[in-house]
Amino acid sequence: MNEKKNAGKNGIFFIALLAFFVALLFYVGMTKKVEPTQELVTLVPWTFIIQILNLFLQVYLIKKFLFKPINEILEKRKNLADKVIREARDAQSEADSLKEQYESSLTKAHTEAAQIVSEAQKEAQAKADTMVKEAEEEAASIKARAAADIEQEKKKAINEAKDEIGSLAMDIAGKVVEKEINEADHKKLIDDFINKVGA
Amino acid sequence: MNSSFEVDYAKIYQTIKTGIPVLGDFKITQTLIVSWIVMIIITGLCIFLTRNLKIENISKRQAFAEMLVETANNFVRNNTGGNKFDHLIPFVAALFTTSVVSNLISLIGLRSPTADLSTEAAWAIVVFVMITATKIKTNGFGGYLKGFTTPIAVMTPFNVLSELATPVSMACRHFGNILSGVVIDGLIYWALGLASAALLKLIPGAVGAFLSNIPILGLGLPAVTGVYFDWFSGCMQAFIFCMLTVMYIANAAEEG
Repeated sequence: MNEKKNAGKNGIFFIALLAFFVALLFYVGMTKKVEPTQELVTLVPWTFIIQILNLFLQVYLIKKFLFKPINEILEKRKNLADKVIREARDAQSEADSLKEQYESSLTKAHTEAAQIVSEAQKEAQAKADTMVKEAEEEAASIKARAAADIEQEKKKAINEAKDEIGSLAMDIAGKVVEKEINEADHKKLIDDFINKVGA
Repeated sequence: MNSSFEVDYAKIYQTIKTGIPVLGDFKITQTLIVSWIVMIIITGLCIFLTRNLKIENISKRQAFAEMLVETANNFVRNNTGGNKFDHLIPFVAALFTTSVVSNLISLIGLRSPTADLSTEAAWAIVVFVMITATKIKTNGFGGYLKGFTTPIAVMTPFNVLSELATPVSMACRHFGNILSGVVIDGLIYWALGLASAALLKLIPGAVGAFLSNIPILGLGLPAVTGVYFDWFSGCMQAFIFCMLTVMYIANAAEEG
């Protein structure tokens, strides 16, 4: 909006200059009678002064109409480019920090997983160990109980055998002697014998 | 057809009596008129080039304008070695464009303002004042005066002479080159006109008499010679003038 207005102003300025020049040309054309000429190599003071003024006017005009707008635009573009670069750099550093974060969390996860696995392994090992131990203990107790049972059975069998043998011996003796002897007297005698035999 | 050769003098359109003793009468000469045309052309070009400036997606016109500005910036910065003389850029650019357009405007039939010594003298004096001002600013007024006595006091007159020779040589170099171009162009046109008149008079009767007034041979050759005498010389002299300006001012700032 502002630029458009400015361009319009410049255009009007230019047209005014043009009109001034055309008017001057017409004036000169209308009023000229003869065309005297100046020397080929000469210094005309007024021309000299006017040309100095012309030069400064031209400097001002070129500054106003070429250098100022173009430098402004160049400056604006430079700022824009700087901004874009700065933003890109910010984004880059942010991405870098995020990446670092991810990497560190990933490493942490890795170690955690390893830890969990090793713990699980340890636990499993411990469990297996206890199970084996329990089994061994059980087996040992079963074995011990079995041995005790066997011993008891043996004792029982021996006692039974003793009784059997005793009564058998008494039967045999009774039959041999053919006479009822006092069982109680002889019982002691037989037991002694058996004990001597068993020893 | 006029058979005697005359150089294209600057015409005086209007004389305004001022009565000022030294300056004399104010004369509106061809030099001034064409100078104003040159200024209008340059200013119009600047306005045209800087219309609808954009930051992105620029037009070819804007790219060209930016290139011109960058070239001017680089020219001054490279020759002075730094950003110290950035304020000179518009001045040098104005000097160069005015000089180039003034030199080349003879191509469209107008008389170059640079074929008038007053123009170059004016520019050279401005440059001389800038050089002197830079010297005084750098070394102080005493240092500036003392600079004339180096390396020994005997050299003072020569130093003063060489100092004064700077603007004179700058002005005369530029003026001489452009004037020689004007004279040589005039000579070529004159010779070709004579040649074509002589050639076409061979045609008998009224046709030959009519055709001999048309300098038909002047169509091709001046374009070829003009490449050197107008284009090359015109651009070269503008470049040299600006180069010397920048160099002298940069040197003036380095002394001491």
